[in-house]
Amino acid sequence: MATSNLVAFPLHPPFLEWKHRIAAQRGKQALVGIVLALLVAVTAWRCEVHMGTFLTGIGKGIPVVGMFFPPEWSGLVGMLQPVGVTIVLAIIATILGMCFSLPCALAASSNLAPAPLRLAMRSFIALERGLPEIIQLLLLVAVFGLGAIPGLVALSLSSIGMLAKLLADAIEEIEPHMLEAVAATGASGSQVIRYAVIPQILPALFANGLFRFEFNVRAGVILGAVGGGGIGYVMSTAMRSMEYERACMATLLTLTLVFCAERLSDLLRSRILGGGSLR
Amino acid sequence: MTSAVPANVLPSRKLRLTALYFASVAVAMCLLFWFLDLSPSSFQVDPHFIGDLFHQFFPPKMSLFWTKPALWMSLLDTLSMAFLATVCGGAIALVLAFLAASNTTPHPLVRLAVRTLLIMQRSVPPLIVVLVLLIAVGIGPFAGVLTLTLGSVGMFGKFFADSIEQADKGIAESVQSVGSTRLQTIRYAILPQVMPSFVANLFYAFDNNLRAAIPLGVFGGGGIGFELAFAHGLLHYRDVMAYTIMIVVMITGMERISDWVRRSIITQPLLITK
Repeated sequence: MATSNLVAFPLHPPFLEWKHRIAAQRGKQALVGIVLALLVAVTAWRCEVHMGTFLTGIGKGIPVVGMFFPPEWSGLVGMLQPVGVTIVLAIIATILGMCFSLPCALAASSNLAPAPLRLAMRSFIALERGLPEIIQLLLLVAVFGLGAIPGLVALSLSSIGMLAKLLADAIEEIEPHMLEAVAATGASGSQVIRYAVIPQILPALFANGLFRFEFNVRAGVILGAVGGGGIGYVMSTAMRSMEYERACMATLLTLTLVFCAERLSDLLRSRILGGGSLR
Repeated sequence: MTSAVPANVLPSRKLRLTALYFASVAVAMCLLFWFLDLSPSSFQVDPHFIGDLFHQFFPPKMSLFWTKPALWMSLLDTLSMAFLATVCGGAIALVLAFLAASNTTPHPLVRLAVRTLLIMQRSVPPLIVVLVLLIAVGIGPFAGVLTLTLGSVGMFGKFFADSIEQADKGIAESVQSVGSTRLQTIRYAILPQVMPSFVANLFYAFDNNLRAAIPLGVFGGGGIGFELAFAHGLLHYRDVMAYTIMIVVMITGMERISDWVRRSIITQPLLITK
């Protein structure tokens, strides 16, 4: 019986090759699976993951969540000012970031800037991006003391870092013909930038700026909790003094704020990238 | 006689409009600073104080790297937190994404429910999640892992669902035409299409989680952030600078690796790069 099967379906080379390939693929998948499982086991041990803690945690967590309700509605009016501070911080940081990132991006792009300047700018951007906002804030708190200023400076600096990186990449993607065409009319370096570079990256600047605004609102809440003021500060002090109902009110306001910022930024961004009114 | 050029692009008019935009932004900035009760003088700091502070910060206490091995363990903790959160979050997000995508969902109501859940997870600030979890599971990296996992699920569930919805319908139909069940269609028609973008995004998620793990550590989520906040509380600024150097090197290195892997897996840009 077996022999007749072999005759009916001879194992000719293409089929054999396919079988080998499947086997090799299976082997690779198994290897990836084993490595992944080992890594998960090691990291779970380092992070002290215990199912027991998790299950008792659920038991402990549900009453805690229960303590958050009902939210303290009377605190709403008093919290509007901190919410305003968080929004204003995000707006200022975004505007400053957009203003300063443009020259930084010009200095960091390989097709416009001379090598030493570009290298210096790129390393500044890399440092700025590698340094989490919270550390910048902690260092700035040492300089300026607690309050809105360290938060403002930290957010602005990291906005500059991120926007400059994205813009520099956008500038490097500009077709060289465009720059040459403008330069061929006798334009000086600054005129090339004005008429060939800026019109091309302006949509990217606004779109990324809006994305950064959304990010700044979220980050502003966290920085506020460490001492930057705003709604994050209200939230963390309420949690520390165990006024959970007040913390719940602050959370609701933060949720609304983050949601609105996200919607607004999405809406404006789709208008800009979809060939909207900006030129 | 009509002008050939529309009025709003006449050079003089355009110049005036640009000037108006700049002026209104400047006025708005002044108003915003006024709202924060800040004036240029509030940014001034005593140069003497700055010089003093500089000596407190520099040189960074590099000797910590070899005199304090626990430091490397806490760095490993931070990496572990980000890794575990990415793997768990990615696995949960993958399942939820199939429920949330319009072409694979068992029922439109399930889709609506899962999408709402994902939106909620995305907008709850990690700060509040970690503060609640610290009470529930105690101070330590575990609370940080759970917070990061929840955040990853919210962020990547939506993205995965969108990429499933964009998958080529023809392949799914041809697999269905040979009589496959729903699960087989997902396994043989949709999964191979979306897998590269899943994996690439998981690397992006790891990067993101690593950055997010630092502030969570500061609030008590364990890892290097916790050590850093502790040293900062003791005003040991030279230690803080040493930790900062470690963190910057780690984040930059991981970003390079993840960028390289992503570029080798997928050639088109992902997420927000435009």
